[in-house]
Amino acid sequence: MSNLIAARVQMGNSLAFHIAFVVLAMGMPLMLCIAEGLALWHKDPVWMAIARRWSKAVAMIFIIGAVSGTVISFELGLLWPSYTQFAGSIIGPLFAFEGIFFFTEAIFLGIYLYGWDRLSPRAHWICSFPIWISGLFAAFIIVTVNSWMNTPTGFVVQNGQITGINSLQAIFNPAQPYEVVHMILASFVGIGFGVATVYAIAILRGKRDAYHRKAMLLGMVVGLVSIPLQMIAGDAIARSLETQQPVKLASMEAVYTTSNDVPLHLMGFPNVPQQSWYTQGLVIPDGLSLLVGFSPDTTVQGLNSVPANDRPGDVLIPIIHLAFDLMVLFGSFIMLVAFVFWIIFFVRRSVIPEYKWLLWSIILCGPMAFIAVECGWVVTEEGRQPWVIYNYLRTSAAVTTAPYLNFTFGVFTIIYILMTIMLIILLVRQARTPMPKMEWAEVTRVSPVEKPAV
Amino acid sequence: MTLSNVLLSILWLALITYTVLGGADFGAGMLELFAVGPSGARQDALIVDSMDPVWEANHVWLIFLLVVFFTAFPPAFADINVILFIPLMLAVIGIVLRGAAFAFKVHGIIERSQVARILSRIFSVASAMTPFFLAVAAAAIASGHIQIQSKNLQTNTGSDWLTPFALTIGAMALTLCVTIAAIYLTLEATSRGDTELAEAFRKRGLIAGALTAALGLLGLLLAPSEASFLWNGMLDHAIPLVIATVLIGLAAAAALWFKRYGWTRILIVAVAASLLLTWGVSQFPYLIPPDVQVQNAASPQNTQALLLIGIIIALLIVVPSLWFMFYVFKVKKVAGADVVAHHPTAEPAAE
Repeated sequence: MSNLIAARVQMGNSLAFHIAFVVLAMGMPLMLCIAEGLALWHKDPVWMAIARRWSKAVAMIFIIGAVSGTVISFELGLLWPSYTQFAGSIIGPLFAFEGIFFFTEAIFLGIYLYGWDRLSPRAHWICSFPIWISGLFAAFIIVTVNSWMNTPTGFVVQNGQITGINSLQAIFNPAQPYEVVHMILASFVGIGFGVATVYAIAILRGKRDAYHRKAMLLGMVVGLVSIPLQMIAGDAIARSLETQQPVKLASMEAVYTTSNDVPLHLMGFPNVPQQSWYTQGLVIPDGLSLLVGFSPDTTVQGLNSVPANDRPGDVLIPIIHLAFDLMVLFGSFIMLVAFVFWIIFFVRRSVIPEYKWLLWSIILCGPMAFIAVECGWVVTEEGRQPWVIYNYLRTSAAVTTAPYLNFTFGVFTIIYILMTIMLIILLVRQARTPMPKMEWAEVTRVSPVEKPAV
Repeated sequence: MTLSNVLLSILWLALITYTVLGGADFGAGMLELFAVGPSGARQDALIVDSMDPVWEANHVWLIFLLVVFFTAFPPAFADINVILFIPLMLAVIGIVLRGAAFAFKVHGIIERSQVARILSRIFSVASAMTPFFLAVAAAAIASGHIQIQSKNLQTNTGSDWLTPFALTIGAMALTLCVTIAAIYLTLEATSRGDTELAEAFRKRGLIAGALTAALGLLGLLLAPSEASFLWNGMLDHAIPLVIATVLIGLAAAAALWFKRYGWTRILIVAVAASLLLTWGVSQFPYLIPPDVQVQNAASPQNTQALLLIGIIIALLIVVPSLWFMFYVFKVKKVAGADVVAHHPTAEPAAE
């Protein structure tokens, strides 16, 4: 493997691994906040038991998330030194800002997870707010950095020197609002349906008690609120690409030549060297033109409008196209399931529908939401290639000259695989621990794990 | 004082903070390797209990260091990452293994004691890897061997960082972390009323402290030939700090010997601080001696100003939060705490 490929795969692995934990670590504190809030409000032992048991899982998930995030912050410099040099002087303060919120998140998460017996119930609940609020800010900032890589602004390059830095312009770059909203909503979709999936499995296996029903319902509420908004945000971001990142849009739909009346290929597999399609998939005539400009006459810029070495490689385009289609497909399926679930729920006057087919559909939604997040990032990152900072810095110029990248890639891959297996085993084991008796005194008792040094 | 010097000072303060907080967590991890004998299980429990709520927040100081460094001095950061790729990558591997092993060991429900033991060993070894390789990298920079003249930088395969000096400093970082951890744990054990445990950690603290002093002395002996740049800088403008480090170190040893644990904790923090200050002052105004000075590695003024504003906001938010966290876990007393303190082993029976 060449240095560039090894570094890209290692970085890709780390990011793909980390983003799943980001969704969990951003979303779960909100779920904890809601569950504990409901528990205190109604003096409801079931909600309290939910919050307590979740917090044990979050303790483990958050550590793995923080660790994988640390790896990425090191890898930025170790694998892409020229990138950090370029980005550091312009957008670097944002990383520092992100640090602030990560700090706050870690501090209050520590207080929340281990402070059950050290704070009054209300004070403890209040400590859950800074966790998810700073999680939101951290996401806002780090996605802003990524959006700047897609639409870099706020600086001038003169004779190879970076000058005229305008940090505000760099922060509020054109792609920023779209990407930030899309990712934040994605994490709520992911957490909502992820939680619903876990409890749909339990209900399907006959655990039809208040604990599992309430937990699934909360997941479905968060999911229902976020998925329609996410579809709207996704539509907006796709439309924004035509002006902001035309090559990415052309890659997503394998548009070879600039023209109007551009169709949309649902699924389908592009044959890039021949500038055609192996299979067309489901073709919607004028679809892309309509999507972009609401009119079949809308012109869509094609891949051929830029030199071959300024656009994603032939191998990448099918990947980008399929990733995009999968994301949209999964998003649509999730929205359908959410609507069906809630329509039946209200028609049956607040009875949770527990049809087998519906539970199975919900079970699919969780993994689909996470795969959609991964697919979205594949589109963003692969669609920008061969640039790491669009039109300014090539990925091949950013990569380190360090040797042994094949080796480090191998080591990290093994570590990540083992870590994933171990985490899944232990989370399942946690879920199998016996339920407490659903009485207030019982569920609020502090276990040794939650009890730190005195 | 220029903006870059202000940022450099902040960087150094963060380094000191990370050493006395995060370093203690690494030290505690290494001490777990020695948690054997009749009180082994209790030592292990104390280590886990005192680390668990705070270590992630302590770890964030490293991220803070990283981002401030690469924003304030981007070219120097990039150069170091290329040249010291190997030790830094090893430090990262240590970070992953340490965190993951700890998470699984403490929060996972491990039934087989063999698995628990393996996780515990990974945790201890990884806790040594990270501070060792970070210190080795730091020593390689400080020694002044790293030359950055050409545009085509190459990763150094060991001639700069596998030197006797760098290895000595790496070992010294390990013993320093263990010393700090042992002192904190002595205090924790004392406040729990477990004098036997306190005595065990006190002994470890004394031994590790003596080793730190010996390795420090060895480092000083090696410096004139191995790290002449650092040595000359030290003779030129850091002699008072060297003397202060030695004196505070002796005071810390005395305080530990005479069981004044509160004082010991303050003094060991001061030792770490003055040790790192000695390094910083000795090599100032160089960032990567002998070729890169602070001024010519600095990022543009606008960026530095924004970074400084960010750091000030950060401190306004983070410092009270941190204070609250340590107050909740290390100061505030809990109802029923006495019962727990007297029967630390009986606790799991309540489950």
